[in-house]
Parts: sequence; structure tokens; C-alpha cells
Amino acid sequence: MRTGVIGLILPPTFSFLEMMWRICPALAVGCTVVALVPPASPTPLLLAQLSGELGPFPGVLNVISGPASLVPILASQPGIQKVAFCGALEEGRALRRSLAGECAELGLALGTESLLLLTDTADIDSAVEGVVDAAWSDRGPGGLRLLIQESVWDEAMRRLQERMGRLRSGRGLDGAVDMGARGAAACDLVQRFVCEAQSQGAQVFQAGDVPSERPFCPPTLVSNLPPASPCAQVEVPWPVVVASPFRTAKEALLVANGTPRGGSASVWSERLGQALELGYGLQVGTVWINAHGLRDPSVPTGGCKESGCSWHGGPDGLYEYLRPSGTPAQLSCLSKNLNYDTFGLAVPSTLPAGPEIGPSPAPPYGLFVGGRFQAPGARSSRPIRDSSGNLHGYVAEGGAKDIRGAVEAAHQAFPGWAGQSPGARAALLWALAAALERRKSTLASRLERQGAELKAAEAEVELSARRLRAWGARVQAQGHTLQVAGLRGPVLRLREPLGVLAVVCPDEWPLLAFVSLLAPALAYGNTVVMVPSAACPLLALEVCQDMATVFPAGLANVVTGDRDHLTRCLALHQDVQAMWYFGSAQGSQFVEWASAGNLKPVWASRGCPRAWDQEAEGAGPELGLRAARTKALWLPMGD
Amino acid sequence: MSSVFLSVLDLSWISKIQVNHPAVLRRAEQIQARRTVKKEWQAAWLLKAVTFIDLTTLSGDDTSSNIQRLCYKAKYPIREDLLKALNMHDKGITTAAVCVYPARVCDAVKALKAAGCNIPVASVATGFPAGQTHLKTRLEEIRLAVEDGATEIDVVINRSLVLTGQWEALYDEIRQFRKACGEAHLKTILATGELGSLTNVYKASMIAMMAGSDFIKTSTGKETVNATFPVAIVMLRAIRDFFWKTGNKIGFKPAGGIRSAKDSLAWLSLVKEELGDEWLKPELFRIGASTLLSDIERQIYHHVTGRYAAYHDLPMS
Repeated sequence: MRTGVIGLILPPTFSFLEMMWRICPALAVGCTVVALVPPASPTPLLLAQLSGELGPFPGVLNVISGPASLVPILASQPGIQKVAFCGALEEGRALRRSLAGECAELGLALGTESLLLLTDTADIDSAVEGVVDAAWSDRGPGGLRLLIQESVWDEAMRRLQERMGRLRSGRGLDGAVDMGARGAAACDLVQRFVCEAQSQGAQVFQAGDVPSERPFCPPTLVSNLPPASPCAQVEVPWPVVVASPFRTAKEALLVANGTPRGGSASVWSERLGQALELGYGLQVGTVWINAHGLRDPSVPTGGCKESGCSWHGGPDGLYEYLRPSGTPAQLSCLSKNLNYDTFGLAVPSTLPAGPEIGPSPAPPYGLFVGGRFQAPGARSSRPIRDSSGNLHGYVAEGGAKDIRGAVEAAHQAFPGWAGQSPGARAALLWALAAALERRKSTLASRLERQGAELKAAEAEVELSARRLRAWGARVQAQGHTLQVAGLRGPVLRLREPLGVLAVVCPDEWPLLAFVSLLAPALAYGNTVVMVPSAACPLLALEVCQDMATVFPAGLANVVTGDRDHLTRCLALHQDVQAMWYFGSAQGSQFVEWASAGNLKPVWASRGCPRAWDQEAEGAGPELGLRAARTKALWLPMGD
Repeated sequence: MSSVFLSVLDLSWISKIQVNHPAVLRRAEQIQARRTVKKEWQAAWLLKAVTFIDLTTLSGDDTSSNIQRLCYKAKYPIREDLLKALNMHDKGITTAAVCVYPARVCDAVKALKAAGCNIPVASVATGFPAGQTHLKTRLEEIRLAVEDGATEIDVVINRSLVLTGQWEALYDEIRQFRKACGEAHLKTILATGELGSLTNVYKASMIAMMAGSDFIKTSTGKETVNATFPVAIVMLRAIRDFFWKTGNKIGFKPAGGIRSAKDSLAWLSLVKEELGDEWLKPELFRIGASTLLSDIERQIYHHVTGRYAAYHDLPMS
């Protein structure tokens, strides 16, 4: 089902193609678009005029030409259901913070830098042409980080410098130029970057046949800039290439993944095995093997980490503008007086109501972290009451240190789990389902104490086991090949795990919701840190006793405690890759605001209850889409 | 021009080379699209292209009469009045050479002497075009052609040596051709359409240059695939790498399949982009063609008069 009205915000230097790639899918699925473009470009206005002549639907595409100060105004208009922002990192962050809690969803596509990895088994001349395509032409959106294997450093640099000497820059309509200009602001940015780099000890080489007037800046190659220098932390502007050496392919992966940017990259190597290993290992949205900058509307293009997580092209581009049918549109949960600094900071203390009457309860559960039950850092626990007010049990009071430990344990378990084949993961999920069924009577009796009827409780346990099995089976079909016109060779659309996923479970359906969220996350190769239902976390902890024997350590970690406090810790954690929140409206707003820190994708319920027992909401395709990220792997072929 | 340097065979120059075919194809498409020349610059480039042409006739039915016609066309490639209109009639514009079979070399030398023209006569040799004859007869062909008066020899390499990876044997053969040529200028035809892959083209180019060729040439003109841009890019990169390693400039000649003036301009811009202006001289760049000259003449006619010429308006070659 389509989303509705889309607000599209474009950066000061955008290409016509980028704009069309965002507008066309939105219109194709039935949304209408309001685009905010920078003042100096008449082309979108002409496009809007053409669309206005389309007869019975005059308002389908609307274009406003205005300065960047209009961005927050457009984004907070009540009628807009989704804002698609394309531009610089800091503005994207600010927009994420200001849109927390508003009814509009946000899709961010940030940053323009790309990466080129040149190994010693590459065709170096062709890789140099790839550098030209990426950075020193009008086709590349931004600057380039170039990683060259040390053994071919001298040859590659010599060929790069020779090639730079042949580049021609001039006005775009002159038929014989390689690159044009992108405005005085871009030129200033380059000057500043070059000066800073030189002052930090880098060598700068500039060449090419470039007019000396203002908006034209020459192609620039920067080398000997150590990664720790401040200049190397910011995004590389166009048309600068920053070159650094590496020794082995494994080191290359570490260096390449060692930045917060995750847009696109190319790998140049004639050895198939090495090229594929690097391609699968890079944490980016698009990987080209022995090519750079190829684009096609049927291939999804997007990013991860700080490049935002919105996509255009391919099936993912269409999913941006759709939401599951049957679910209502997102409601605004904005509360203007939510204090982000104090939300969840202090844990309200719970004193016992009076002397305990009745049989002494079982010893308190610990936190399930790293495959075993551990005592919480705060050494305190909280009581859990059942539906008639009697004491049901004690659970641990988790805090910031416990969250930190849980996330670390999840990260340690992640490489092993992500490296398992889908079949192996399915086998573990089925083993957990079998264990759940063996424990049916215990779980059903606990659910009864929480107020459910026996039959309903048993049905809930059976449904949970069924869901585990269903997700195990569904994950067998992972990537598939896309057909791309004009390219000889396959393009693979891979579905890769996100990393460590933080999940805050809803209060209702304490067992079913827990399992329904755990299963897709694990099935797609993520490791999880879960905060179970606040009303009754005991069901989740029962399941943990089975997970301790069935799963490898650290795969699923469960931390109990004050929900707001734990939410705060998880949302602000920079090393959590995504977060799912099914709690209060205020909590949803905080989570969205806090995700601006590392721009993690967030799925918040905004306080609306969800029917977990219904297939569409409890086990629908939306869960599968959100549990993994896409990577497009281009493999041009030919000899 | 004969090369006086002696180059040693160094197989490490070719052992680690890799050429990625799709990337080279992409570069070839870009070059054709991105460097276009118009108006009077186009006319100037076309005249320059004329001075690079090795006017060629390699048919079974060549006799002295069509050789004589060819040699006169080589001396007067463009109609006199068109050159006068461009103010280029006194610059000595002729084609670079005339290229014929060994049996016709005497006729060509006679015809050029009669025309009072000193452009060189190039002869193909060594079992052109397939090269599948005994080494002894191949070397004898070269010597006889040089005796008859050819000052440039176009030899064909033994493709079987490339396909079986026998690089030392290939080097030795070409060195023997070089010795047989003596003072004559040696062009080595790689027959790239039959070498199988671009990596083999690069390796064969390097071996040919190491063995002492003055020029490397893409093809005989008789294969199914002759001179294409991807192959040329690889060969030009080999020439540049050889220049970086030894300081010697080797020439390049594409032959076969170049028929239109637009193509010839694309070839000129390719050489300019990959190697630079120093290679755009007849000593370092030739185009092996026969019908190309008439298309260039028609373009120049159009530039001068604004009208399109008929076939009979321009003299036959």
C-alpha cells in the first residue's frame, strides 16, 4: 500500500538523474511528490510544468525552489507522510533530530564519497580509468578514497599522475571536456581541504587542462595523509582523491570499513576468489567488481552506517514508498516537552510494599548475557507481579554497564553467526522451537498466572514454536540475481545481516511478541540484545534457559530492568546497528531522536498496539525487510 | 627509420600483466564519445590524417596499372583546387607510404620515381597474411623485398607461438626478421584478432618491441576482426610502458576496417589521449587504409564547397 505524500529534499549539487530516480518510483506506486530544490536550478520547475499538463491529475508533482532554511518547515508540514532527504551528513542528523516524533517517516541518503580498492592482481590502467570515472568526471557524485596495495603503489601513482595530465575541464556543453564545475562553494571546500591536508604533511598533486577562473577546480590527488590526521576523518570533497596504501587484502578490509561512511565501493582484482571476498566483506551498499559507477534503475542503490539507509532503484526503492497494507498510517506522537537529556536517565527505585506473605519465591533470575545467566552490575532486582497482584518472581535490574556488556557479547558472536549458512541457522531455530514445545506446560502455567486462559496460553506457545520454524524456513532464499539491461554479467542483490539489533519488546503478548521479534532477527544473521516485556519478563527468561543450551554464546542476550533506562542506553549506543522499539509514544520519540547519533535505522511503534497473533502484523514480510540490509554486487563479465 | 638500440628479452615485464576486458571496452566507448572536433579544426585534423595513411593495395588482381594509379594518388591525395582553397597546396601533403605485395614492389618503386616522389614503399612479407610457411622462406621474402627497393617491411608474427606461450621463440623469430631487414624499417603485425585475449595482445606487443620492431601493427586487414579500439588501447598502453622502461618510442599502426573520416578522427584522438602529441607524426603513427582517403577527400570537399560530392567528382585511386 502506498505511503501518501512524499516530501523530497535535494542537495545544492544534485544531478537530474538522481532527482528522477527518486521522483519516478514514488509516482509509479501512486504517491504524490513535493520537491524542495535549491534556487539556482530551473530544470525541476520545467519538469513540474510538464507534469502539470498531464490532464486530470495536476497536483502530482510539485516543485518549490528555495533556500535550505525551508527544509525544516517542509519536513514538519502535517500532510506529508514521508520525507526523503538527500544531502550532507550534518543536515541529515539535524533533520532526524527535529523530526523525532512527527508523523512523517524519514529516509536519509547522505554523503557522496566512494571507495576504490586496487589490489596487486588488478589491471592497473583500467583501475586508473575507474578512478577517473569515480572522481574526475561529471558522473561521480563526490570525492574518492583510493586504497592501493603497497606492492603496486609506485606504478599506480605514476599512471594516475600521467592520466590526470590528460584531463580537460571546461564548460559542460563543450563537447570535448571530461568534467565541469560544481559551483563556487564546492571550489572553496576543495581549497580548504587541500590547505589543511598540506599543513598535516600530505603531498598534493594537481594537474589537467583546467581554466583558471573561479568555479573550476583542478583534479587533485592527495597522498601520504595518515588515517589518524583530522583531515582524513571528514568526507573527501569532489574532485579530490585521497590515496593510502595497504599491505594485504585483510588489512584493506579493515581500513575500508574503518570509516563511518558506507555508500559505494569498487574492488579491482583479476582473481575471482579475492574479488568476491572483498566484495562481500565491505560494509557498503553497492560494490562493483572491476568497474566503478555503473548504475541502473533496476538495481537498488543505497548505503549503510552514516550514509543513511534509504534506497532508490530496484525493489528496495519501491519499498521506500510503500507500507504494509492494513496497518494504519503513522500517528504523530510529538510531545514538545520531552526532555531528551533526562529521559530514562535515572531509574525510579521500587521499594517492597510490605512484608512478604506466602511461600518464599525462587531466587531472582540474572541477566542472560553471553550465553549464561549473570548477576547485574547494580546487584539489585525488581519484583514481578502476576494478574492477581501476588508476587510472581524477581528479575534483575539491568543498567548501563549491563547493556554495554550485552552489546559486546553480541558483537563477539556476530562474525560466527553471520558466517553460518542459512541452513545451519534454520537448524538452530528449529531446535529452539522443539525445546519450546517440550517446555509447553511450564510456559502455559506462567501465562495463566498472568491472566490468560489455559487454552489461549497453550495456543500462544504453539504459535511461537510455529513462528520459529517458519522464519527458519523462510531464510533459505537469500540473495537473487537481477537482470540489468546493457550489462553482460550478473548483478546480485544480497541480503546481509545488519549487525547487532536492539529490540525492546511490547508489554502485551509477553511470549509471542518476544519470539516473533527474535526469530526474523536471528534468521537473517543478526545477533540481538532484547529487553523483554516489562509486565512479565519471566516468559522470556524461561526461553533463555533453552537458548543457553541450544544457541552459541552471545547470540541472543536478554536484559531486564527499567524499560526507559535500558531504552536510553541502547538508543544512544553507537555500536548498535539498528533498533526496534515497541513501547510508549514518548519512548518512540526519544529513540528516533537518539538514533541521529550513528544514524541507525529505527522501527518504533509510537505507542500503537500491534496484533501479534495476526499473521500480517506478527509474521509479515515487513519483519523480514527490516531485519536485513541489501547490497548490490555488480559482476561485469568478459575476457 | 631503423632502430639502432639493442633490447634484451626480459620476461618479467610481461609475467604479471592483467588486462580487464570489460573495463577496456568501457574506455573505448568513452573515447569515441568525448573528443569531437568540428569546423576548420576538423579539416585540419583530416589533412593531418591524410599524412598518416599508408595507401594500401593487397589483392590477388594487382597489376602494374593499378599500382601506378595508386602511387600517383599517394603523391596527390587531395584535389589541387581543394588544397588551394585551404591554403595548404604548398605544404607537401602526401600520404606517408605505399604498401603492396612483394611481387609488386618493383612496379611501385618505378611508378614513384616517375612521379618524382620520394615517399617510401612498404612491402608485406613473411607469408602474409597467415604466416604459416617455413622460416627459411619467410626470411628470404624479406631479403628479396629489400633488394627490390622496399624501405619498410610489414612482417606477420607466428600466432601459434603466442597461443602456446612460447615467448622466447617469438622473440628469436622477430630478431631474425629484424636482422633480415637490415636498414629497412620493421613493422610487426600482431594479428590481434587471432590472439585470443587482450592479455595476449599486450604480451605480444611487448615481445615485439623488445625484439627491435620500429612499429607494432594491429592486424593484416584480412582477419574477421581487425583494428578495434579496445585492442588499440591495450597496444598503446604497451607502447607507453615500453617508453617508460627504455626511453624508446615505438610507432603504432592500426590497419583494416578504418573506412570513414569520422573513424580516422577518433583514431587520432585516441593516440593523442593515450600517448600525447609527440606520437602524432608519420614517424610514429600510420593508418593502413585504402578507401579511407576517398572519404576524407569527400569531407574536405564538403568543408570547402558546402556541397556533397558525387563519386565521379574526385579522382580515382
